[in-house]
Amino acid sequence: MNGQDPSTDTSLLETPDMSTPHAVLDRTPSAYTPHPTYRLPPGSARHYQNQYADMYFARLAQLKPATLAIAADAFDTFSIADETARRVDRVLDVRQGELCWVVGTCYMEMPLKPNVLDDIGKEHWIAAPPTRVKYDHPSVALEAGEGAHGAHAGGTGGVGTQIMLEDESGRLRLTGSFLRGCLLVTGAIVAVVGTENKDGDFEVLDLRVPDLPRQPQRWEADDGNTALTGKKPGSKKKRPRAGKVAIVSGLGISGDEGDTLTLDLLLEYLLGESTSPADQEDASTISRLIIAGNSLSHASPIPSRQDVITAATKNAAKASGTRKYGYDSAAYNAAPTDRLDQWLASLLPSMPITLLPGAQDPTSTSLPQQPIHAAMFPHSRNYMAPPTATTKDGDGEEVGWFDSQTNPADFTLDGFRFLGTGGQPVDDVYKYIAGEERLEMMEAMLRWRLSAPTAPDTLPCYPFQDEDQFVIKDCPHVFFVGNQPRFETTLIEGPVGQAVRIIAVPRFKETGEVVVVDMETLVPEVVRFEVFD
Amino acid sequence: MAQDYAEYLAINVLNEQQLISYRSLSRALKVHVNLAKQMLYEFHRKQNAKKPGSVHATYLITGIRREQTPAQTNGVHSQKDGEDTVMQSSPPLPESSAPVPEESAEEPVVVRSVLLVKEEHLAQAKTTFESITGIHIYSLQANGLNDVQSLTECNRKIAVDYASEDPLVAWKQYGTIQNPNVKRRTARKGPPPAAPVTKPAEVKLKQPAPAAKSTVPEKQASKDSNTNSQDSTTAASKRASKPPSAKATPEPTKKPAAVKRQDSNIFMSFAKGKTKPQKEESQSSVEAATPAAEPEDETMAGFSDEEDDAAEEGAVADVGEVANEPEGKSKRQREAELEAMMDQEDEVMEDASPEKSADGDEGAIDKPNSQHPQQPAKDTIIVENGRRRGRRRVMKKKTVKDEDGYLVTKEEQAWESFSEEEPPPKKIKAQPAASTNKSAAAKKDGKPGQGNIMSFFGKK
Repeated sequence: MNGQDPSTDTSLLETPDMSTPHAVLDRTPSAYTPHPTYRLPPGSARHYQNQYADMYFARLAQLKPATLAIAADAFDTFSIADETARRVDRVLDVRQGELCWVVGTCYMEMPLKPNVLDDIGKEHWIAAPPTRVKYDHPSVALEAGEGAHGAHAGGTGGVGTQIMLEDESGRLRLTGSFLRGCLLVTGAIVAVVGTENKDGDFEVLDLRVPDLPRQPQRWEADDGNTALTGKKPGSKKKRPRAGKVAIVSGLGISGDEGDTLTLDLLLEYLLGESTSPADQEDASTISRLIIAGNSLSHASPIPSRQDVITAATKNAAKASGTRKYGYDSAAYNAAPTDRLDQWLASLLPSMPITLLPGAQDPTSTSLPQQPIHAAMFPHSRNYMAPPTATTKDGDGEEVGWFDSQTNPADFTLDGFRFLGTGGQPVDDVYKYIAGEERLEMMEAMLRWRLSAPTAPDTLPCYPFQDEDQFVIKDCPHVFFVGNQPRFETTLIEGPVGQAVRIIAVPRFKETGEVVVVDMETLVPEVVRFEVFD
Repeated sequence: MAQDYAEYLAINVLNEQQLISYRSLSRALKVHVNLAKQMLYEFHRKQNAKKPGSVHATYLITGIRREQTPAQTNGVHSQKDGEDTVMQSSPPLPESSAPVPEESAEEPVVVRSVLLVKEEHLAQAKTTFESITGIHIYSLQANGLNDVQSLTECNRKIAVDYASEDPLVAWKQYGTIQNPNVKRRTARKGPPPAAPVTKPAEVKLKQPAPAAKSTVPEKQASKDSNTNSQDSTTAASKRASKPPSAKATPEPTKKPAAVKRQDSNIFMSFAKGKTKPQKEESQSSVEAATPAAEPEDETMAGFSDEEDDAAEEGAVADVGEVANEPEGKSKRQREAELEAMMDQEDEVMEDASPEKSADGDEGAIDKPNSQHPQQPAKDTIIVENGRRRGRRRVMKKKTVKDEDGYLVTKEEQAWESFSEEEPPPKKIKAQPAASTNKSAAAKKDGKPGQGNIMSFFGKK
């Protein structure tokens, strides 16, 4: 009818024909199994009195074997001027002038890292020190002026970044031009080869990381379960063709009506109501929606110290009654969660949803963030798994149609292992590393085998005692991170043939983009919702 | 049917000047959304043929747009490389098999756009598309659309108007993608009734049936508790007076038993002076005390109002004997605990003047008090303006230096005067009451500051 493009489907710009029935499509089913890796024990079984140092030791203990293996391969034959590198057990055992290699935890000393002195400063000054974009102080002579990130020298007198290697025995300062080429953050386990110079610093000649762990086969988790439960795995059960999964993050619902049109467009697209029949068929292949954090724009009812200060200065003239530092229940605005709940409840009858919390969502701020409670979703609650009386996790729990998950989240979808976060770990790593390459940082996190390497240094987290849960044990097939500034994706490979698709999911509120990943090929594509103006 | 939609649209769009989207139309006429889109198109065409510009439309275009400015991922990389200083920027990690950033240029990502556009910009929007896969009308309105965001109003209205529809049933006709695997729980009957604390307990009125039955235990209760023929009533009263720990959702099966017990309990507290007048109140207090009595025994299986009613009807016959059997064991514990609690009780209601007002949470206190008249007589309590004042007996420690120079601490009883401004211990309030009688509630709310339970009766 428009005569422009033969592929344009203009069947909907026609006179309605009452006799021809319109097809009602069925959605592709989604095979989904969450793993309780990041669930914390409930209630009083959590202990916050533990020391965080234990977490570092546990992490080192877990990753040391893998790192040793890789480093041994590389460094056993490393030689300079007829001297072969020798493995040293403890960091403090390195000897001056001797070529050796050692494994330890990296620690970065950076002048602009958050400091308890800053907190004290906030109490005495009107305004808090400006939040840092990067922790590195630029005035040190390493690179030509990048401009000031906020002029003050901090408490360390303007000394630049120092990199140290640490283990149970002690710390060793690392130097050397090789380090400039490496991505390092506090908490990464590395093996370095080099020698100690006369200043007592270790000059690094080469560096190795644990690299990607073993990647399970597709459907390994499901097949394993059937084997365990005694059912005959059957002769290679024919599994139906998997559909696609849509990943969105940063919905940023704030309760204002100003900008929710794109949300509506997204909802209609996913329900298969909008667009032409061909696109509706496409939409029916999307078997699940994953929301990767920051569904609400500002969800904390407890005003932060900053808010209280600004409120106080605003009200100073009015001298309004008591200042509430805690939770003022009168100030709670239910509109955002209500809106989110309605949105979810409109989508749930048609599509299962997995919800990850983000930095701005109403759940714990320290990682791993626990699932958003069902009480926040009065309408969508019916689609969630019923609360179990026992605290047994793993087998006991039923997986709900609407699954509220932890952040980071570890689950198996259509046979593939997914690892996802709401963005906080990557944003924190970003602060350590000069440069803007977020994909590289994500790749680095996988190669360090840590889903949150900077925890507990600058990223608040739960003090794990026996085992660092952030260590990645099985290499995922897809690693997605929400709330990134723009969509990026890449495919990385591991030393034993692992292949991981890394996806940076942009914030929907700003970009209107949703990532749709085809589960058979693991290739992502983007659907962008916009309003023309 | 053909007439319907034209009529419907004429009324809503032209006459009432509303914003009608394809979704609202499909819900209103119960048709498939694609059909609704076609209806919108047809109406738009006809109306504009008759009178151009009478109806405005917004369109939804899907397709692939032409490449614009660095909206693509690749664009950003090229910018960045120049900006970063060489040293710190992106050299690959050791062991990294991924080549430096340019790699992402190899796999162009398909970006499909879904664009909402007003009809006046339609032609312009179409030119920005490289290929269009679909286009349809999104909404119609009579005048021009000032703010595109007002389209959210349509969906909001749908959510409100059609909230009663069950999506799993109704949406099939609209053409929403169906999912055969959807799992949904049946909704509970709303939030559980806030285990209202007690007070109203006494006043709560049960239905006539249980009430009638409860008159029997009531009569019994009105006698001195010791002369109670049934263990149950004693037990009941004891349990009833054990409110503090009680914080329970009413337990259906126990309820009837508790009912009886509560009756007797209430009466025992009023035993000193009032009987008949209290009857009604005590009935209601039975309710309140009932849930309270349950607490420890029953597991909190959950709130079930329905079950309550059923249980009441059913077990009324058991005048408590049978119902008490299961609790036999805990009854002992309860009694022991009650004894302990009573021992702590400071106030004793000497002036048990007959009073009408029933206050649930005071009723329980009454009971222990009445059962222990042997408290020292000097321990008087005067109630003035709802404050307890008087002298009471406390243990005081005295430290003296004896002849050898040692400090000796002795504990002895002493009298001291005290005055209180706070209401009596809130433990009684913990009695969950399934329902509250208005008068009881009113009375209770009106006097938060009083300490003495008898003061309630004194006022009336």
